Amino acid sequence: MMTTVVLAAMLGGVWLAATYRENGSRAILLPDRVMTLFPDPKPLTAFALTDHENRVFDLSRIKGKWSFLFFGFTHCPDICPTTLAVLARARDNIAKSTVGAEDIQFVFISVDPNRDTAGKLRQYVDYFDTSFLGVTGDNAQLGNLAGQLSAAYQVAITPGMENYPVYHTAAVFLLDPRARYHAVFTPPHDAGAISKRFKVVRELETGNAT
Amino acid sequence: MRWRHPVFVGLILALTLVPAASEEAGVSVRDAWIRETPPGMTMMAGYMELRNNTSRSQVLVAASSSGFESVMIHRTIVKDGMAGMVHASQIELTPNASLIFAPGGYHLMLMNPKRTLRAGDPVVINLEFRGGLVLPVAYEVRK
Repeated sequence: MMTTVVLAAMLGGVWLAATYRENGSRAILLPDRVMTLFPDPKPLTAFALTDHENRVFDLSRIKGKWSFLFFGFTHCPDICPTTLAVLARARDNIAKSTVGAEDIQFVFISVDPNRDTAGKLRQYVDYFDTSFLGVTGDNAQLGNLAGQLSAAYQVAITPGMENYPVYHTAAVFLLDPRARYHAVFTPPHDAGAISKRFKVVRELETGNAT
Repeated sequence: MRWRHPVFVGLILALTLVPAASEEAGVSVRDAWIRETPPGMTMMAGYMELRNNTSRSQVLVAASSSGFESVMIHRTIVKDGMAGMVHASQIELTPNASLIFAPGGYHLMLMNPKRTLRAGDPVVINLEFRGGLVLPVAYEVRK
């Protein structure tokens, strides 16, 4: 049996040119290949997944925090460990800044629940950063959240075949503390670029909120 | 005994092929490394810079190592917004040029290591080229 889940990928987001204050001078955040910032962030609707400690991971878990989401699977030798290592460095950079990393979380979403149990996810994410969360769910649950982000993935399970192929978007999705899909980082990822952009985005949003 | 005797032909052939296996004559490898994985993971990836020092194409056709159950040449590609891996049956190295195996692109997919590999461990992988050249390369496991 061939189980295939395909979600339409529409990452043709909007490049937004925003102005921001840096070192006392106005600078332009030009459209580029690092990040797409949405001018009108879309609020997420209810979803339910399970984290690496078997706790429910739902809308309430993303409210009040900035969340970086990455879809992947633990049997992935190249893109997934590369991206998680980059995100761990980005988190370090953000943690060292004056605002710190108290209000951010990083979530690795496995699209391969067949092989990625809670225990396996814990071992996996802990290796990169003990603050990272590993979550997964059944196909419908995963499809719900991935669909809201237009995150594409495809799992080609073949019975008896241990190493079936899994395809997934390599983008990193940024949700804001109001549980809205705020921005997306485009691969190839760079820790310095991600942390710098995030600081600007967070400043802009804090400015808007006050 | 004539120079065209099969034994001589064989000897000359062997002598021509031997230098091809040495670095300066054929292909050299730099910065060979394997990414350390989280505990319990069975899939690893190896990277390096390959340089073809000759004036003709060299074709990488396979890789093998006693340290893993199997080794395959793979490439990460992005299609329809999704990243996936494809098997590369062979890779041609253009004359006097380098080809880089790096995260997000070409890599050696290393399946089921025979022992737990940690940062600093050395692992030898044999790179096999068309024509019979086999290059043993020492990879360093890195975090």
